[in-house]
Amino acid sequence: MEVNLRFTLNGRMIHVMVPPHWTLLRVLRETLGLTGTKEGCGIGECGACTVLMNGKPVNACLILAPKAEGKSIETVEALASQDSLHPLQKSFIQHGAVQCGFCTPGILMSAKALLEDKPHPDKEEVKEAISGHLCRCTGYQQIIEAIQRVGEKVKR
Amino acid sequence: MTYCVDMILPFDYQTPKTLKEACRLLGEAKGKAKVIAGGTDLVIRLRNEEEKPDLLVDVTCLEELKGIEESDGTLSIGATVTHSEISDSSIVKRYGSVLAKAASQIGSPQIRNLGTIGGNIINASPAADTLPALMVLNAVGRVVSSESEREVPVRQLLESPYKSALKPDELLVRIQFKKLSQDTCCSFHRLARREAMAIARMSLALLFRMRDGNISDFRFSPGAVLPVPDRLEEVETFLEGRSPEEDLLRAAACKVSEAIVKRSGIRPSTSYKAPVIEALFLRAMREAMQQCQSNK
Repeated sequence: MEVNLRFTLNGRMIHVMVPPHWTLLRVLRETLGLTGTKEGCGIGECGACTVLMNGKPVNACLILAPKAEGKSIETVEALASQDSLHPLQKSFIQHGAVQCGFCTPGILMSAKALLEDKPHPDKEEVKEAISGHLCRCTGYQQIIEAIQRVGEKVKR
Repeated sequence: MTYCVDMILPFDYQTPKTLKEACRLLGEAKGKAKVIAGGTDLVIRLRNEEEKPDLLVDVTCLEELKGIEESDGTLSIGATVTHSEISDSSIVKRYGSVLAKAASQIGSPQIRNLGTIGGNIINASPAADTLPALMVLNAVGRVVSSESEREVPVRQLLESPYKSALKPDELLVRIQFKKLSQDTCCSFHRLARREAMAIARMSLALLFRMRDGNISDFRFSPGAVLPVPDRLEEVETFLEGRSPEEDLLRAAACKVSEAIVKRSGIRPSTSYKAPVIEALFLRAMREAMQQCQSNK
């Protein structure tokens, strides 16, 4: 059995045929070639596969493909434009918030959702927003600073 | 390009648009179908091949299972309402704050955006975070099949660890409970190896009102310490109608750990869990009493 899926991916309507037992993560990586979204634990604990579904962060490893039908999905590939990085990406680089980089795409997506909801989050709000992510290089402090700094810049 | 580790065995997938169609699919599958809502528990079980269904019936498009509704004395929550929707809901915060608190501490933001209250009940984990809260709210589930419709107290929806009491053709549609009066004091606490994502090692929900300086309508349910979540009536009766002095609360805390050992037996974890659940109980009682003070 394959299902016919139509959904918005990074602002563009797409159409794919995939087996229903594939996860959204697998569809993104293997069918659509968007390998920015990572698989870490595969059981919803590490947050490496975080994408936005209708604007909200979710674990793509826990979403079966048919659930994407009619939804809007955003992945890390949506952040940078043709000629410049997203402010969050620039801030991560400036603050040394990227070490091995495996957790980064997921955290960027949670941070994007946070800043859209609360443009000027305090430290606790940032910590809560990224509580579903593991950074095994343990660079949390720089990550929190990087996210908060973007919020401050928006203010000015 | 087939290195991907998220290998799940194949199944068919249906997303019915009406409740009638969902019930028909479940009935026809004769136990070989599983219901999927958020999928945060089921997808992991599929991956581990602990479940091998022929068919998944996705219930997230069914109108009857959506939304939080308020009527005169009752709050009704659709089975597919997510933990985020519950913890953000001003009505739930007002009339069932113990549930809003429990929902806000589940897993992680990503899990709360997917996981549903109906799924948390029917997955029947002894450590499910919403169950102690639903127990003290005396919540009742509305269960529907092609042939019948019944209302079942949440406790009776649970059979044994990870097994609900629903028949294969039945579907949990909504969860209802009486609105709490504004003078109700409640508390929910959860303890895990770390704050986010880890499964609860212990949790508890309690609520009561103060009447002339005495505890009234006291309800208490611990989580993750009983094979199937339940109320502890022995503790409830012990405190009912009595004045919450420190000595009495300490005696009640001892009753809590005694009652748990009586029901679950002495387990390897008991020497840790018994004193800690006592401390957690005292913390929850003190927090709720402070609420009572500020309610005045």
